[in-house]
Amino acid sequence: MALSDDHIVLAAEYALGTLDADERAQAETMISADQDFAAMVREWEHRLGVLNQMVGSVEPRPEVWDKIKAAIGHSEPQEPLLLPQAAAPPAPASLGDPVGADNANVIRLTGKIRRWRNIATVASAIAAALVAMIAVGVSVPDLLPERMRPQPRTQMVEAKTSPTPTPSAQYVAVLQKEGGSPAFILTVDEATRNFTVRKVGAAAEPGRSFELWLISDKLPRPRSLGVIGGGEFTSRQVLASYDPETVRTATYAVTVEQAGGSPDGNPHSAPVFTGKLIEAVPAAAAPAR
Amino acid sequence: MLTPAELVWLIAAVAKGDEAAFERLYAATRAKLFGVVLRILRRQDLAEEVIQETYVKIWNSAGQFNPGQSSPITWMASIARNRAIDVIRKRGEASIEEEPAAMEVAADTPDPLARREMTEELKRLLECVGRLEPDRQKLVLLAYYNGWSREQLAARFEAPVNTIKTWLRRSMMDIRECLGL
Repeated sequence: MALSDDHIVLAAEYALGTLDADERAQAETMISADQDFAAMVREWEHRLGVLNQMVGSVEPRPEVWDKIKAAIGHSEPQEPLLLPQAAAPPAPASLGDPVGADNANVIRLTGKIRRWRNIATVASAIAAALVAMIAVGVSVPDLLPERMRPQPRTQMVEAKTSPTPTPSAQYVAVLQKEGGSPAFILTVDEATRNFTVRKVGAAAEPGRSFELWLISDKLPRPRSLGVIGGGEFTSRQVLASYDPETVRTATYAVTVEQAGGSPDGNPHSAPVFTGKLIEAVPAAAAPAR
Repeated sequence: MLTPAELVWLIAAVAKGDEAAFERLYAATRAKLFGVVLRILRRQDLAEEVIQETYVKIWNSAGQFNPGQSSPITWMASIARNRAIDVIRKRGEASIEEEPAAMEVAADTPDPLARREMTEELKRLLECVGRLEPDRQKLVLLAYYNGWSREQLAARFEAPVNTIKTWLRRSMMDIRECLGL
């Protein structure tokens, strides 16, 4: 599936690092939900990553290793998904050869000289870039805009309404604590309004259940979407009773309830994880089935 | 530094829970990764935290590394860099003046003209960056190396944030076309 220019630039700026916290959260949601977008991010990270060859190495203190060892002491690594001894799939032709291909001998000499001139120019720009931050950081710290405060990490992306009902759009929300790792990924199919919650974070404590809620300013109080099961995936159709606009604009929140869920239909804890839907796969671009 | 192939083997061993391989992987890559995140975070303590989190993540997700999609060092550096940028964005980027002493640590002096050490891939990227106007070259490189936000770039280039946004967009699209992405 072809990505739009906007998505390509979003992937590029994510890899470059220029997005703000909200935009990064949005991009990370899309990485979780959209393989093509994730592949584009990886591609940019790979292409730009070679710039790190120019960064000087700095030794961290030995205590850092002690802390890492302590941190991994009680955790087993996850089941390997892809083992490197398996034959590496060839890179798509359009992406070029990823490692070490030397095509210099097919470049005519004039081209080669121009190329080196380009590289030399940009190499001095790199030298400037690598020292410039010190100058700016020291001399003009108040250039930093005041408005850059940490913000709640909730996706606030406007979901676009698609005029064509089929193929249907997929919406996705990452439910997380402020600034924390994703705990659940909620996926909603626009047409069927089926939703699936994928558990990616911790399980509920023994004797407790996670319950999913829909919070909308169109509704007087939070509505339960049911208890999130113990397995990795929980799927339900209860969203079908809400209108699409409410589904798209609502905040989705997870609370901790007694085992089996809230007995009276009201949440009994503050939302532990929250998120809003973004349109991950636009209707027009959905793959044909 | 080990060769990419050696790093791939180490990561494969780490995916199976081989702690000795993990220690070798750490020894081979820690200084590069620390250099990358220290440049962005500019504070030893923050950079150390990010490095810890990075290697814990590498330990936990080594099985997801796909050598057909990325080089080992790029994969590891991306984890570190993304974490560093998340931290600096969430801190509101007010950390620059907090600890001037950290500047000295970050003020390493790499030799950008050591062409022998450049891989063919780096040459190719630099050729594409080199086709941008000089200001745009600096824009892209400052963003990448220092993890600067659009707001910081706007301050540095004395241009409105929207202009920076447009420049970044055009620059990345130009680079993309040049690379044939």
